[in-house]
Amino acid sequence: MGMDDRGAVTTELGATWFGAGLSLHARARLGAAATLQDVPPDTILLREGDDTGIFAVITRGRVALRMRVPERGQMTILTVEPGDVVGWSSVVPPHRSTSTAVTVEETRLLVFEARTLRGLLDSDLALAATLYPRLLEAIGRRLSATRQQLLDLYAQQSDPVPW
Amino acid sequence: MVSERFLARADLDRLIAILAEGGRTVIGPVVRDGALAYEPITTAAELPQGWTDEQAPGSYRLRRDGNRTFDVGPPAQGLKRYTFPALAPLSVAQRGPDGVATFTAVAPDPPRLAFLGVRACEIAGLLIQDRVLAGGPFVDDDYRARRAAALVVAVQCARAGSGCFCASMGTGPEVSGGHDLVLTELDDGYVVAAGSDEGTRILSRLGLEAATPSQTAAAAGGVAAARAAQGRPVVIEGLRDRLMDQLDNPRWAEVADRCLACSNCTMVCPTCFCTSVGLDSDLDGATTRTERRWDSCFTGDFARVAGGNFRPRRQDRYRQWLTHKFATWVDQFGTSGCVGCGRCITWCPVGIDVREELAAIAPPYRGALTELPIVAGSPGAYVTATLRSVRHETADTSTLQLVPADDGLLAARPGQFVMVEQPGFPPFPISVSRVAEGALWLTIRAAGPATAAVIAASPGTQVGLRGPLGRGWPVERAVGRDVVIVAGGIGLAPLRPLIDAVIRDRERFGHVLLAYGARTPADRLYVDEMSAWADAGIVVTDTVDRAGPEWLGRVGIVTQLLDQRDWRDRPAAAFVVGPERMMEATVAALRAGGVPPERTFISLERHMECGIGLCGHCQMGPFFICRDGPVFALSALGDLFGREGL
Repeated sequence: MGMDDRGAVTTELGATWFGAGLSLHARARLGAAATLQDVPPDTILLREGDDTGIFAVITRGRVALRMRVPERGQMTILTVEPGDVVGWSSVVPPHRSTSTAVTVEETRLLVFEARTLRGLLDSDLALAATLYPRLLEAIGRRLSATRQQLLDLYAQQSDPVPW
Repeated sequence: MVSERFLARADLDRLIAILAEGGRTVIGPVVRDGALAYEPITTAAELPQGWTDEQAPGSYRLRRDGNRTFDVGPPAQGLKRYTFPALAPLSVAQRGPDGVATFTAVAPDPPRLAFLGVRACEIAGLLIQDRVLAGGPFVDDDYRARRAAALVVAVQCARAGSGCFCASMGTGPEVSGGHDLVLTELDDGYVVAAGSDEGTRILSRLGLEAATPSQTAAAAGGVAAARAAQGRPVVIEGLRDRLMDQLDNPRWAEVADRCLACSNCTMVCPTCFCTSVGLDSDLDGATTRTERRWDSCFTGDFARVAGGNFRPRRQDRYRQWLTHKFATWVDQFGTSGCVGCGRCITWCPVGIDVREELAAIAPPYRGALTELPIVAGSPGAYVTATLRSVRHETADTSTLQLVPADDGLLAARPGQFVMVEQPGFPPFPISVSRVAEGALWLTIRAAGPATAAVIAASPGTQVGLRGPLGRGWPVERAVGRDVVIVAGGIGLAPLRPLIDAVIRDRERFGHVLLAYGARTPADRLYVDEMSAWADAGIVVTDTVDRAGPEWLGRVGIVTQLLDQRDWRDRPAAAFVVGPERMMEATVAALRAGGVPPERTFISLERHMECGIGLCGHCQMGPFFICRDGPVFALSALGDLFGREGL
């Protein structure tokens, strides 16, 4: 990939929700390490329980995060949209995927190889200091959303009512 | 018993003489410099008999017409000149040769005055200034003393000028208080009545005959004509909220292009009370006199502080004036600050007409003026409706089409609800989910025996209905703006009539976004209508809380559909229905996205038995949800919304 393409990757990263919150330095370092990949639907990006091989920022399409439930099969817990990330566990020990990530439509991703990214973060503390808070923000949003889902707000009340 | 007397025209001088007793100065309208002014008079001959005026925006002319004394509008400046003069001494500060500083307040020394020929609008102005300057915890002593020392002889108008809108503001033309005597002019004299003990004493000293029935009828007829001539150019219902909702209206900048910021309007306004403290110092600086001086929010320095100016632009100052006069005045003093005298229109050098500006900036909501009649209003009085069809929407939810025996029910506006009654079951409230094809569509989830029974009923079954009840969606508030519709679960049902209304008038709205959250894909309502909504120019987005692998749509909470949206530069109105926790998260997301609380509308659910605010079940703070809601602007709820246990 030439220098111009590298610039395009950095620009693409900056246009995402995740990338827009990073410093210029971080965007440039990350842009140099990422590859832009177009992935067809139904591609498994990560498998629940496996080592998390990649970290990716979605720029187009949709990725479903699924967990397997005996008797019920794969349940979609969350879908992730452009701007958000997949594979946060690649940079958080023990580096195992917490869900299976599957593209549900044509999807474009900025992909980082997990080992490369970890190496970058180990060697560049300034990069780590800007990336981890943003990552925590993304995970925090997910946690908060999951809690709301857990409330099952749209379910019928179990209290009997006369109406 | 009201004792109206008749004062012959020739006897007006006797009244003036009595008013002047004890050294009292009588102030009445006189012709001066081509206009009317309140000046001291000693005889009736000084009054403007045979004069009338022609007023228009930015224009005032006196001309000869008729023989009456008060068939002419109020003077250019009202009584404020006397009760709240432009300059009033406050204190004297002195520094003696020994360095000792003294501060001496100037005691009020009010002149004893009798105002003659005071119109209803001007009395309203006095009563408003009474509240502002003498009704609060702190009082303007000079004002209070001057008011206490003045008599008011009012005149009811028999003619309305083109600038008059007292009838709109509810201040006239009838004089209904605040006076000692009130006159109503006829061709040969005046019908007179007393309004105070002092007025009664004066009236008895005049020794007048009772007015005849034809005289009192003629007097009343004249006043009624003055009312009718005004029409109703300013609709005050909801005006406060309508104006405060328009702080970002582009018209402010447009008015500012015409406005000279000359402050004429505030000078002639009978209620404007803003002042500054002015200083006069001797050359040696030893003695300083301070005085209260009229100021105006239109002046460039009015909002200036050492660090800058809070209202640097003319549009800021015009907006401050208009929103104070017609909106925030209500919050501060419990009354509008406008009396409808029209002076600010006539004496504006560029003819800015406040009536037009109000209509352009804060137009009345369509339908806001009339409450819909409720069919079968009282609990127990039901109109029968025949079930035409049942459509199963989801496993537990169906839409019923009900044809009511009374078409009045079909007038239901988006967001209103009805009470549904079946023999053998308790009544329950249900939002109208559509009005179409001569039927009321109700989308009902089987939550208990009554709802389960009604959705299991066969076509032809009759049920009872009452309604339409409650306040619906203020669709007009979204006109010209982006529309954000957020529904959770069965909350989409009360929003569907709003969607229908938006689609009917699609070009009146900006971008329209529907964000819909449901429990599972199978729990989504109206799925087969969504493509038609999209075709009609609505961006339809949805998400579910949980799904299997066959679902390729979104999974997550409804606020995620709003996450990357930004309305800070695109004024929007939002309409939200769902479980309260979902609405709390949604309004937080909307606020973060720039939708203001005054244009965020939510529909609340509470236990309703009667639907008309009588049974007490649905109270939340000061509100009866059934009668005052179920739709509320978030700003109207303040911090009640989301508070536990209310």
